[in-house]
Formats: sequence, structure tokens, C-alpha cells
Amino acid sequence: MENWIEFGRGPLFRLCFALMILGLIRTFAFSLFGLIGAYHRAGEKVVPWGDLIKKTFSWLIPIGRIWRARPLYSIISIIWHIGLIIVPLFLAAHVTLWKNSVGFAWFSLPQIWADNLTIVAIISALLLFIGRVSSKEARALSRKQDFWWPPLLALPFFTGYLCSNISLSANGYQVIMLIHLYSANLVMVMIPFTKVAHCVLLPLSQFVSSVGWKFPRGTGEKVMKTLGKDNMKEEIA
Amino acid sequence: MKPLTTETLEKAFEIPKKPEVIEKQRLAVRYHIEDKHLVDNNRPQKFLEAMAAILKHSNYRFVLDHYIRTSAKCSRCTVQCQVYEATKDLRDIPCYRSELLLKVYRRHFTVAGTLRGRLTNDPGLTDDDIEDMARSFYDCTACRRCQNECPAGIDHGMITHLGRYILSEIGIVPRALVVSTREQLIGDSHNTSAIPVPALKDTLEFLEEEMAETKGVEVKFPLDVEGADYIFIPAVSDFLMEAETLMGNACVFHATGDSWTIGTGDFDGINYGLFYSDHVLEKVLLNMEKEVERLKIKKGIIIGECGHASRSAKFFYNNFAERFPMPVINCMEYAHDALEAGKLKFDRSIIKETVTYHDPCNIARSGWIIKQPRELIKAFIDDFVEMDKIGKDAVCCGGGGGTVSLDEIRPYRTTIGGYKKAKQITATIKEGKAHYTIGPCANCKKQLKELIEDQNIPSELVGLHDLIYRAIILSDDGVAWREPEGIF
Repeated sequence: MENWIEFGRGPLFRLCFALMILGLIRTFAFSLFGLIGAYHRAGEKVVPWGDLIKKTFSWLIPIGRIWRARPLYSIISIIWHIGLIIVPLFLAAHVTLWKNSVGFAWFSLPQIWADNLTIVAIISALLLFIGRVSSKEARALSRKQDFWWPPLLALPFFTGYLCSNISLSANGYQVIMLIHLYSANLVMVMIPFTKVAHCVLLPLSQFVSSVGWKFPRGTGEKVMKTLGKDNMKEEIA
Repeated sequence: MKPLTTETLEKAFEIPKKPEVIEKQRLAVRYHIEDKHLVDNNRPQKFLEAMAAILKHSNYRFVLDHYIRTSAKCSRCTVQCQVYEATKDLRDIPCYRSELLLKVYRRHFTVAGTLRGRLTNDPGLTDDDIEDMARSFYDCTACRRCQNECPAGIDHGMITHLGRYILSEIGIVPRALVVSTREQLIGDSHNTSAIPVPALKDTLEFLEEEMAETKGVEVKFPLDVEGADYIFIPAVSDFLMEAETLMGNACVFHATGDSWTIGTGDFDGINYGLFYSDHVLEKVLLNMEKEVERLKIKKGIIIGECGHASRSAKFFYNNFAERFPMPVINCMEYAHDALEAGKLKFDRSIIKETVTYHDPCNIARSGWIIKQPRELIKAFIDDFVEMDKIGKDAVCCGGGGGTVSLDEIRPYRTTIGGYKKAKQITATIKEGKAHYTIGPCANCKKQLKELIEDQNIPSELVGLHDLIYRAIILSDDGVAWREPEGIF
């Protein structure tokens, strides 16, 4: 068991972490280069940069957006994201691990904050899952990954909470730690290949949706020729 | 407004097409063109070929790539879509509609999708999927209101546009759109309403006489003036149906004293390409460029009261027109500039009715034309009431995305599409007082007129320039309006 834990904490973590980072860089680069290419092909380079930056920030910190649509869902979703980002990065135990392995680290959250935030994150994951299952609109839209992501993400939080409160995990600490490590590693590997990739893509979204309308010159003509139509008469059925 | 009943919904979706035509088209939608391409059995393959060709030569690929990774299916767009609000049909949720095309992209144009498809024996795109898309992409009014509340920033309007473009390449396009486009691009009249130039000249002469009588001033519609500062291009339907709007435009030009002209080579701003084909979009704008070149226009293109004509010219003209780039101005923007420069004088006593303003999606969604018309209205109208959602957040009239041109779906448009708009207009009406709804867009005008008629709303639909025409003072004696003699 010890060995499995060490493996999960050491080599496996490094592999999964590297896959996540490289995968996210690749995903981000695809969108970014696509964006730059589209901008260069555009005949007119006028883009409302100021508006787009404002819009992007209003979505990265979406407090003002809460009341505009599905307020309850929006609040839960925001709380969920706060817990999701802050706890793994600033938990004292994680920060210490970083310090021991790479030699540097950053400030950490007081344990009581981390604990409470973890509980809030677990509850909000549960609520999001219930929200998805109980709303007919959300059910109609959802793919498989939309259902399994909240529980999968809640698992390392739940097991992490048990591990950091020894009184709760005294009997099965090692098993719980094993689940914590392997589920967290699985999450990291999955991130670049699923919808969670939005964690790096979101800052580009407004730009993609704006520059995407900059149709390159001559597209229609080329498409027509590629499809074997000779002239506009054939094109306009 | 009463809530929609099941009976009304069913009626709105009624299919008046002959069963054998539906059978032949294999499209259970009533307004798609009957086309030779549809008879063969290879529709999915044709769709994929068209999609591949479009992705190869356009920018859509990176957009779809981005969207399949960011779409979180949060369903926040459900509360934004006026179509879904009316039908409560899950297939009308913007994100659901977009997924129809995104899943085709994921399955056939990504490595992971192709591999998964092979491993799981997934047949991929089917005929039924195409039918779903044909129905769904034309139930959407392409108003793009859903993009406002999408946390992932997905522009469902762009996906609808792309979906329609691909469908059009395999011959699935509403008949009304394709017939108009054909006349505009390869017909003799070069405009969507098939108005010959002599008829245009007659109409304008008649309007000049009318203005001389009512305004007491000689106001001209200059035709083919070489070297004019501005070329004025309204939606061609204005020449047939919106005489007061045109006269309002002419009066504003008269008041500013700028040199302007209407070109007989291209006097139609309508561009259905914005709704269904990038190719058509570009061709129509290149024709506009030719007219700008022929008339040696100096300062700019002014588009009349038409949302989609304005948007297609504003955001695409300079993108396509390489040789003669030109600023594109909407006529309300132009009138507003004139107002700010102190060139417009109004008689405030003319319009006494309550007035509300409908923001056309194509000019308001981007934030381009929102404050200009309101400042114009406030310059000569005392009783102005706003609707509950305005500006970038405005609700579509229900006939957007070209659907207003399809007369056969009028029951759909005036019940389902325009349901929310009807509620909004009704809320601004004051008891016992006459009411105007301003809809400064050729598409919105037609739709709102039909909506007002079908829903029995006690309001009259007008253009902003219709009211400007009545209240503007051009003559030295300071009279805005003289009752025309001998008409009644």
C-alpha cells in the first residue's frame, strides 16, 4: 500500500501533471494560433478589442452576471469554481509537497479555511449534479461527461477532507489517501481532453466568437469550385 | 397576452406542403426548396463533403474546435431564447441546436471522434440528423441574444449561420430566400424585389411631388450623381412599401445639405447571404463595391432602415471590398450626427402619441446603434416609453435570420417567434392613448406589422424616419407638416 501511495504521489503525479500542462498548452495554442490566423486572413482588421476584453473579464469574474439568468445555479457554480481553484492550489499540505519537491512554494490557506472551503465545494458539486439531473433542459443538453464530472471532481475533495482530518480517517487512512491520489491524478489527465479544458480556453472565447465572423475573401468561390460547381447559377440552386 | 395553447402551437407548426413533396424532399419542413440534389440517397455524404470544403477554405474550423472544448452545457441560454420560451420544446434550446452541428464536427472532423466512431461502429451523420438540422437552423431567428449569457462565449448565431451555409451547399434553403437572391445576383433587375429601374424612377418622382406638397419644400432623390459624397442604399422593399421612411431619409439629407445619391446599378441593401451563405454575402457586397466605384463615391455608404443590410455592410463590406474601402453608416447614425451638429429642426407638437422603440438585433446586439435613435426620438417626441429589455439585450421581433421573408410560416412567426415581443409591446401601451412602435428595420417592420395584426395589439408600426418625416422642419416658414390636399 505504501508503495502504491508513493507511486501515486511521485512518478504518477509527475506524469499526470505533465500531461495536463502539456495538453492544456496544446489546446490553448490551437485556439490562439487559429485566432491569429483568422485575424491575418481577415480583409478588415477592425476588432472591438476593448469591448472583448471587458466581456472576457466580466465572465472570468462573473459576479455581475448572476441575476441575469438562472441565479441559483449561477451562484452555486461560482462558489464551486472558487473552491475548485483555491483549495488544491493553496492547501497547506499541497504547498508543503511542492516545497519539498521543487524547492519553492507559495502562501497557504489556514487549515480551517481550507476545510470549510472543501465542504462548500463538495456540497456545491452535489448541488450542481442534482441541478443537472433534475432540470429537464440540462438533462436534454448533457452528454455523459457532463454527468460524471461533478462527482469525479468531488471525489478528491471528499477524500482529501477525510485525510486532513485524521479523526475521520483513522481506520482507513491509507486506502482513502490512495483514492485521493489516484482520483486527483485521473482528473488531471482528463482535463485537457474534456470540457474542463475551458479552464484555459475561456479567456479566448470572446475573441474567437468575434474574429470568427471575419470571413476570408473568396471563401465562397473556393468552396463552390471544390464542390465541382462551375458558376453562381449552379450555386444558387 | 394569453399563454400559448397546445392548439395554437400545433397550428403554428402546421405543414401546408403536399405529402408527395415532403416525401421527395425527405424534409418535414414546409419551406425548403425542392431541389434536384435532394432526390439522391447520398445526402449525408454530400453534407460532409460540403462541410469539409467549407472548413478547408474558411475560418470556421478553429471556431468549432474551440467550441467543442469549451461548451459546458450549462443551459443558461434557455432563459435567453424567445423561441424556446414560447415552445418549451427542448430542441429549441440554443445549445441543443448548436450541438447538432458540433457533434458532426466532433465525429467526422476530429481524430478522437473518428477513432471512437470506428471502435464503436457509430454510423455517423444520418439522413435524420440532416432533417433535424434543416428544421432547427431555420427555427432559430439568429438574433444572437443567447451569446450574451453564454459563460463559454459560444456564438450560437454563428453556428446557425454555418449550419445553414452547409445545408445551402447541398440545396436545402428556404425557397423565398433563394428566389430573391437569384434575382439579385443573376437576374435582370439586380434586386431582390425585381424592381426595374424605370419603376424606381417613377416611384421617386412621385415621392418628390408628395414631399413638395406636405413639406412645402423641393426635396430631391438624386439618382446616379457621380462624385457624390454618399451613396444611399436602403432595403429595396422600402421603395415598394415604406415610402414615408424614404421621404424621411431624403428630408434628413436635405437638412444636412450633403451631396448624396441613389445608384441605379445597385439600390438594394438586402443581403440574404448574411443568413445562409458566405458566398452570397460576399457577392452582394462586391456588387455594392462596383456601384461605389462607378459613381466615384467619396465619403461613405449610408444604409437605410434595415438591420441586416446595415450589419452585412458595416461588418463585411470592408472585409470583402478590397479596391474601394468605404465607411459604412446607418441612416439613424447619420441623422443623429446631423442632430448633434444642430442641422435638424423638429416640431415637437406633431407626434403626440405614446412611442416605443424596438432594437433590431442586427444593429443593436453589437452595441452599434442603441443611443442614436433614442436621442433622435427624444428630440421631438415627449411620450417615449422603453420596453423591458433593450439595447444589446433586446428581444428579437421573431422574424430574424431571414425567416420573415417566408410568408408560409407567418403563423409560426406571429405566435411562437414573436410571442415575447408581442408581450413587450403590449406592456408599453397606455390605456386610452394611441401608440406607435418604431421598428427601424425592413425585416422587423414586416414581422412587427404582422405580429400586431395577428395578435390584435393596439399599436401602429412605423419607422423612425417616418416620424422624422412628419416632424422635421425644412421650410423657412417653420411649418413641419402640411396636410396634403385632394387625397380624401
